[in-house]
Amino acid sequence: MKKWMKNKFLIFGILALIALSIYDYRLSFIAIEKTYQQIISMLLIVPPIFILIGLFDVFIEKETVIQLLGKESGLKGLFLSFFLGAFSAGPTIAAFPLALLMMKKGAKYGNVVFFLMVWSTLKLPILIYQVSELGLKLTLIMNLTMLIVFVISSYLIDYVISSDEVEQMLDKSS
Amino acid sequence: MSTEVYVIYGLAVILTTLGFIKNPKKTKIGLKKGLKSFLNLMPILLPMFLVIGLFLTLITPKLISSLLGEESGFFGVVFGLGIGSITFMPPFVAFPLGKSLLENGGAYPQVAGFLVTLMSIGFVYFQAESRYFSKKSAIFRNLVSFTGAIIVVFVVWVVYL
Repeated sequence: MKKWMKNKFLIFGILALIALSIYDYRLSFIAIEKTYQQIISMLLIVPPIFILIGLFDVFIEKETVIQLLGKESGLKGLFLSFFLGAFSAGPTIAAFPLALLMMKKGAKYGNVVFFLMVWSTLKLPILIYQVSELGLKLTLIMNLTMLIVFVISSYLIDYVISSDEVEQMLDKSS
Repeated sequence: MSTEVYVIYGLAVILTTLGFIKNPKKTKIGLKKGLKSFLNLMPILLPMFLVIGLFLTLITPKLISSLLGEESGFFGVVFGLGIGSITFMPPFVAFPLGKSLLENGGAYPQVAGFLVTLMSIGFVYFQAESRYFSKKSAIFRNLVSFTGAIIVVFVVWVVYL
């Protein structure tokens, strides 16, 4: 209960909802309906992600993760991070616990951040759908530009976030 | 419902079954761990959706296309990047919206900037992301995506105009 009381989003959301009701109560009904729709669509897709996270936690050995995604994984690790992120579904926030677990198992931080960025933006399974809605040219520009920026940033991150700071993240969560 | 949803459910069912065949005890622990991290996320996630619901009520497609028109210029780009950064939509809502924005007179660079930030930047996720990783890491990731979005706007502008 205490956790819920402290939540800034909840307090802000309720206050905004009250303000909106005073302004125009019909809008607040729409807002509640939209919230409901969002929660339902999230609950449809998020549970299997957490089943996979749990199975990953117990069945995949740390040594395997270090070998595939660790400091020495190089270009192969980057490719694997790309495919893990690009063939995913669900909101980015569902990727946070998975990314943290990858880190705990010894994945390189640059790979983890790259995985998160790819998950949020570059969804390969729906690329054809994107082309049909937005056209080939716009789709290519958007996806290729972001891919290049993400790759560069995954190399730059070692200069921005030190290994001590990565250690701190792991300590905090354990 | 999209195919990716079926794929991920199928994957979860198959791997859980395999897990039970290989090591039932470990699988049970894994499922419990998964449930625990799901429940840990809920107090962050549910209130967040209230805020997203409010955003989506106030920021309608009509408002967005009026802000991102052909004549909107620099401010249109700023609005596109800004609105995209604070709102959140699943891709199956975002892409048709992008299409209808373009059909309703939205300019390509502005709409492209809006779509890219819509997906890559989660202002509403910031609190959760800082808690999972660190504030600096969340700032870095969002800043990179924002830089990428600005580059996309430039490239689209050069290609289309």
